[in-house]
Amino acid sequence: MSTSSDVISPSGSAAADRGSGNKSFLFLIVGLVLIALSAIGLFTGSETDPARPFVGWILGISFWLSILIGMLFLTMIWWMFDAGWSVIIRRQLEHAVGAFPYLALIFLPLVLLSVLSGDKTGIPWIWMNSDAIVPGGHGTVAHDVLYQSKAGYLGQGFFIVRYVLYFGVWTTLALLFRRWSFNMDRTGDHSNVHRSRKLAAAGLFLCAFATTFAAIDWFKSLNYHWFSTMYGVWFFAACMRAGLSATVLTLFYMAGREDGLKGIIKPAHFYLMGCIMLAFTVFWAYISFSQYFLIYNANIPEETFWYNMRELNADGSKNSWWWVSMGLIFLHFFVPFLYLLWYRNKFAARLRFIAIWILTFHLLDLYWNIVPQKLAEDSHGHYMIRPFGISWVDVTMFLGVGAIVIWSFLKSAARERPIPIRDPRIEESINCHE
Amino acid sequence: MSTTADQHSQVSGAYSRPDVLEEVRPASIPRRPLIENNRSFTWITQKVCGIVESKTPTWWWVAFIICAAIASFTLMGLTYLVSTGVGVWGLRNPTFWGWAIVNFVFWIGIGHAGTLISAILCLLKQKWRTSINRAAEAMTIFAVICAGIFPLFHVGRVWFAWWLFPLPNANAIWPNFRSPLEWDVFAVSTYGTVSILFWYMGMIPDLATIRDRVPMIFEQRMANAGTAGRQAFERFYFGFRRLFYGILSMGWRGSNRHWSNYEMAYLLLAGLSTPLVLSVHTVVSFDFAVANLPGWHTTIFPPYFVAGAIFSGFGMVLTLMLPLRAIFGLQDLITQYHIDCMAKICLATGSMVGYAYMMEFFIAWYGANPYEGFAFVNRAFGPYAWAYWIMISCNVITPQFFWFKWVRENLWLVWILSCFINVGMWFERFVITVTSLANDFLPANWDYFSPTIVDIFTFFGTFGLFGVLFLLFVRFLPLLAFAEIKAVSKQADVHGHH
Repeated sequence: MSTSSDVISPSGSAAADRGSGNKSFLFLIVGLVLIALSAIGLFTGSETDPARPFVGWILGISFWLSILIGMLFLTMIWWMFDAGWSVIIRRQLEHAVGAFPYLALIFLPLVLLSVLSGDKTGIPWIWMNSDAIVPGGHGTVAHDVLYQSKAGYLGQGFFIVRYVLYFGVWTTLALLFRRWSFNMDRTGDHSNVHRSRKLAAAGLFLCAFATTFAAIDWFKSLNYHWFSTMYGVWFFAACMRAGLSATVLTLFYMAGREDGLKGIIKPAHFYLMGCIMLAFTVFWAYISFSQYFLIYNANIPEETFWYNMRELNADGSKNSWWWVSMGLIFLHFFVPFLYLLWYRNKFAARLRFIAIWILTFHLLDLYWNIVPQKLAEDSHGHYMIRPFGISWVDVTMFLGVGAIVIWSFLKSAARERPIPIRDPRIEESINCHE
Repeated sequence: MSTTADQHSQVSGAYSRPDVLEEVRPASIPRRPLIENNRSFTWITQKVCGIVESKTPTWWWVAFIICAAIASFTLMGLTYLVSTGVGVWGLRNPTFWGWAIVNFVFWIGIGHAGTLISAILCLLKQKWRTSINRAAEAMTIFAVICAGIFPLFHVGRVWFAWWLFPLPNANAIWPNFRSPLEWDVFAVSTYGTVSILFWYMGMIPDLATIRDRVPMIFEQRMANAGTAGRQAFERFYFGFRRLFYGILSMGWRGSNRHWSNYEMAYLLLAGLSTPLVLSVHTVVSFDFAVANLPGWHTTIFPPYFVAGAIFSGFGMVLTLMLPLRAIFGLQDLITQYHIDCMAKICLATGSMVGYAYMMEFFIAWYGANPYEGFAFVNRAFGPYAWAYWIMISCNVITPQFFWFKWVRENLWLVWILSCFINVGMWFERFVITVTSLANDFLPANWDYFSPTIVDIFTFFGTFGLFGVLFLLFVRFLPLLAFAEIKAVSKQADVHGHH
């Protein structure tokens, strides 16, 4: 393979000590403490709703996981398109996706606990508990015909295998893209670029499947009676929105760092990110609306119950989720959509504002998808819907996982250069214009 | 722009050049040129205008007559249908939607590539679109015309088709606004209108160039015209041409103001067309998905239909452009790079369609609804299994060959594969429409649907109609958007980078 003709600089010469080591270590400590705190919640449970702390764990991880998945997709899409303008942004994504292995570790207790624990009342994946009463009068899970016909997929052994596969795919892709891109800085060997392009093509397929089935396993199977072919696409759309918004915030942070993107990043980068954010805002709405509309219109009870839970109590009165649903329609779609249509809103503080906004409502979207469940009240099938609410485990997990992801980012950013200096399109990115 | 500059200083502070920029040494992996052999502006103009200005080639007449003859099959089929009734289309219980809806969705799907290339690729700043957008847009419009025929005549008494529009309530009947078929009327007619506007507006600078060249070509022709009769003919013909291109170019002078308005209008139309492209096939997917029929009612239908439409559209673009490229010697303008890009889009969208097939099958099982499960097992192994496996092989397996560079560079192979894509996408719609209807909830109703000869004639003829329209386009309008091609050429890039 050919290499660039000029001299190969020593590895990470100027980049050796970028001096945020101490700060990043602090994030690690805080993260570990918060996750340990959350673990207490996981083991002590909650009296009124035994599975709620576990749901908090899923929420906390899913938020950060969705960001990283979105970033991984974005990396691969940019490789596929041979995009020039985004090259310096791609390096920030490469720093960020290094956190996949840590997320796999943080997810592991959920898998182990749900499979190994004797008393499964605290496990929200109700299908794992064959003695659990199915809300709505189907007897126990073991006797539920719907579970029986899905048991081939919803089995504990297969569930673990799939967990390993999903994180295996994400981690392998993330680490390879990182390694080749950093190698390119050092050696200038063109094969790094060619390999990345090829892996991106294959990786998009692998990542699409991993992301789809992860959404089915971890979110959809919380209400395992329900099914929708669109669900994986919804999660992809949500990941992209989260990933893009988090990328914008990362860029703002790096733009302020002397050893970061200060003096390199241009308003045009932010503008173009704003354009993609607009596109994926529309895409998310399109997917979410289509799924809702087709189920609403068909009005088949075996599908509509999933939406009914997010609007009505068992007695038909409006529940707390109705407000969340309205919030998603108006605040997660209409506000960012109209806002991002304006040219001026795609720059500086205004873009940062909408990125934070979208991330906030993305978290609400995850709440809306993950938290509502029918909780059996007695053996006759009476149930209540788990109401909207923020538990302390949600908070500690959200912050704890976030601290770990930030630690991982800072660690990587301290070790490698802020821009891929030998990328073939680096000049296009540095001279980016609208 | 001053505000941008302010924001720039907000973002990056003082303009001290960061050290890391001194280390930048990009690897030399140049982008492939969009125009090969470094062709000049003059060469490009003469090449594209030459197609319209040269004498009509013999092959054109042969192709035109063949296509016109084929188109007459549609005419025959429709005449027979109107004089007899829609029953001649082989529609009977339980399959009341047969080939007509299949053909409609097939053609409307093909009509997606053009506007996708012009609008979405424009917004994505994919410069390679300029070499293929014009022909693809023309194809879009002709495909929409072919598509429109089927639902139009499916209504039965076609002279009442205007009832589809929500006109003042003279008949004491409003159309059923809850029906996706009614939404189709709005979606397709809006899409058709905007596509024609987009196509025509984009053509104005090129039409003006052809208009300006009329006197020059006229003199050449007169010099070569031996007889007085010949000269009279040329005088008459070029008088017509001057009028034809003169009216169409709407007084375009290529002034700065003209160009600035043109660019703004182009961007606005691109922005408007993008949701339109997606909405049309979304509404078409609703035709099926809002019915509570196993195999039709599934939430992934909207994006799955859109991906399929783009897939079939690019299949048709390849099928048409590869021969034209060879006939007119356009290899320097429609390069191997363009063909690679199109093949890769086919690969991507074909795989998305494959993902949807898989997801439908998986959820039909996972949903544990016996009717849904049956619908899919019946598709794959029932009486229409042959159609299902044609669909799978053409739509999912065929595009996978485009992973390989040697396949993408073997143009005969690309052309054959693109034909397979066209076939596969027709069968996809056939499988969706017919398998679900023919074996519906009541087994006593079950039937094996077979098309009648009228079905086959009518559909076969639409290829002729499409061909006639496309040949007329090739002969009289600028085949490539050469004003835009020049803008992405190396000569137009004064700064010398990308």
